Amino acid sequence: MFSLDLFLNALVAGVLLGGFYAAVSLGISIAFGLLDVVNIGHPIFVILGSYAAFVLNDAYGLDPLLSGVLFAPVFFLIGVVVYQVYYLSFERKGESPLRGLVFFFGLLFIIEVALLLKFGVDYRLIEAPYIGRSIHIGEVGIAFRLLVPCVVGLLMTLAITQFLSRTFYGRAIKGVAQDSLALRLMGIDPVRIKTIAFGLGIATASVAGALLIMISPVEPSIGRAYIGRVFAIAVLGGLGSIGGTLTAALILGIAESLTATFSGPSWSLAVSFGILLLVLAVRPAGLFGR
Amino acid sequence: MANRIVVRDVEAGYGGVRVLHGVSMHVEDGETVVLLGTNGNGKSTLMKCIMGIVQPDAGEIFLEVDGRRFDLAGRRPEEIVQLGVTLVPEGRRLLPRLTVRENLLLGAYRAEARRDIARNLEFCLEAFPVLAERQKQLAGSMSGGEQQMLAIARALMSTPRILLVDEPSVGLAPILVSRVIAKIRELKEKRDLTVLMAEQNFNQAVKIADRGYVIVHGRIEFEGESTQKLAEHELVRKYYLGL
Ligand SMILES: Nc1ncnc2c1ncn2[C@@H]1O[C@H](COP(=O)(O)OP(=O)(O)OP(=O)(O)O)[C@@H](O)[C@H]1O
Ligand SMILES: [Mg+2]
Repeated sequence: MFSLDLFLNALVAGVLLGGFYAAVSLGISIAFGLLDVVNIGHPIFVILGSYAAFVLNDAYGLDPLLSGVLFAPVFFLIGVVVYQVYYLSFERKGESPLRGLVFFFGLLFIIEVALLLKFGVDYRLIEAPYIGRSIHIGEVGIAFRLLVPCVVGLLMTLAITQFLSRTFYGRAIKGVAQDSLALRLMGIDPVRIKTIAFGLGIATASVAGALLIMISPVEPSIGRAYIGRVFAIAVLGGLGSIGGTLTAALILGIAESLTATFSGPSWSLAVSFGILLLVLAVRPAGLFGR
Repeated sequence: MANRIVVRDVEAGYGGVRVLHGVSMHVEDGETVVLLGTNGNGKSTLMKCIMGIVQPDAGEIFLEVDGRRFDLAGRRPEEIVQLGVTLVPEGRRLLPRLTVRENLLLGAYRAEARRDIARNLEFCLEAFPVLAERQKQLAGSMSGGEQQMLAIARALMSTPRILLVDEPSVGLAPILVSRVIAKIRELKEKRDLTVLMAEQNFNQAVKIADRGYVIVHGRIEFEGESTQKLAEHELVRKYYLGL
């Protein structure tokens, strides 16, 4: 039996989920889409962000969003170090990106195991006054634990697109994968640009992690479920297009939410990839790929 | 402000292959100097040496700004650009998936150029109206002639003390070559540029050059102190003028 209320609720939840997915995918969109760095380990940095928010919330009752923002500079520095290691051991030697894949996969497992040793396998969650609340418009309920992540995800996406199109660093980041010698001939050090960009991508994981633990309890291995999803979003949106990433995140959020409501949650990810394959068959560059 | 570039006894090449054999030349303040040479004689290699893309094995290259001397050999390209030497490279090297405007703005990355960005942008869009119309278009989707204009305009955005241009005529129809060359002359007059241009199209190059060098197999075979002298030389008559 099709119910309009059920449909509308699923649709709204999907849009909200999509905004959150955009936040999780931004870092991949930057690293993979703009820098040609296959950072398959990105989701574990998101989980790391969740635990950072958890620790501060547990000890001091700090608002998760505040932790996300407070930790962003720390995550930026982590990103800078990770990229430098990656650059020195792979990229500079001209190793194929596939070898880099192994590096990031290794990083994923090391951080995951470290989190496991420190926090165990228990699901962790946080408390904030707005998390249990919701508003109702007619029959459609909007939960704050979904609304806040969506709004923050949208704002973060907007901030990144503005940074990329309005600043010297931003424009250099957009160009760096296209022709690094061309950049040098304009007085720009491409390695410095890539380092900054990668750091920025990891910094978004701090905020995305705080959003994640608002939406659902977190344990160290749930990052894996996001690997396929974030790459699907980055590719679906079109590599290098942040606006495309947002659109793709919304499409996937809606598709997953509708599928979960009407066919059961186990179909969600299959439907996401189905959409990805369908779009790539028609438009190999993704929705907004150039 | 007096700027000059001096190249002295430069030897350079790729791996074991020597391409430049003791090249010496100089470009003085306000001059336009042409480097004439047919394919494969080392024009681009010399440009790359000045820009730090290829490091010379021997000899010296230096830039003088108001009597202060900066050795260029051993510096990285991005440092040399920061000193005020900008190259319009062979193949143009635009960022194809960025817009015309984004390419231009990136040209102004150099610290000294950022202050001038509004003035330079206005100047470039006025000098090249076709770029003004197409600011939002992707650079890669422009025609060859338009791309060459953009490459030159982008270099001007960096407020260069010395502008190097590597074969602006390549791949362009004769009418476009004339137009590009005329543009460079116009820019030069408006902005007191000091220019070193590599070319093999002699007839076009002499329209703007004050003097020039003929490079053959990585050696400067002839130094013509005026375009008149160049035109009279047997090498030029034979290889560039078909006489
Ligand atoms: N990256 C490279 N690696 C090896 N050899 C090179 C490289 N670039 C140029 N050469 C060689 O150096 C010589 C000079 O090349 P260069 O590009 O300087 O010539 P050019 O005068 O600019 O010619 P053109 O008019 O065709 O651009 C040629 O024999 C060329 O094969
Ligand atoms: Mg050449």
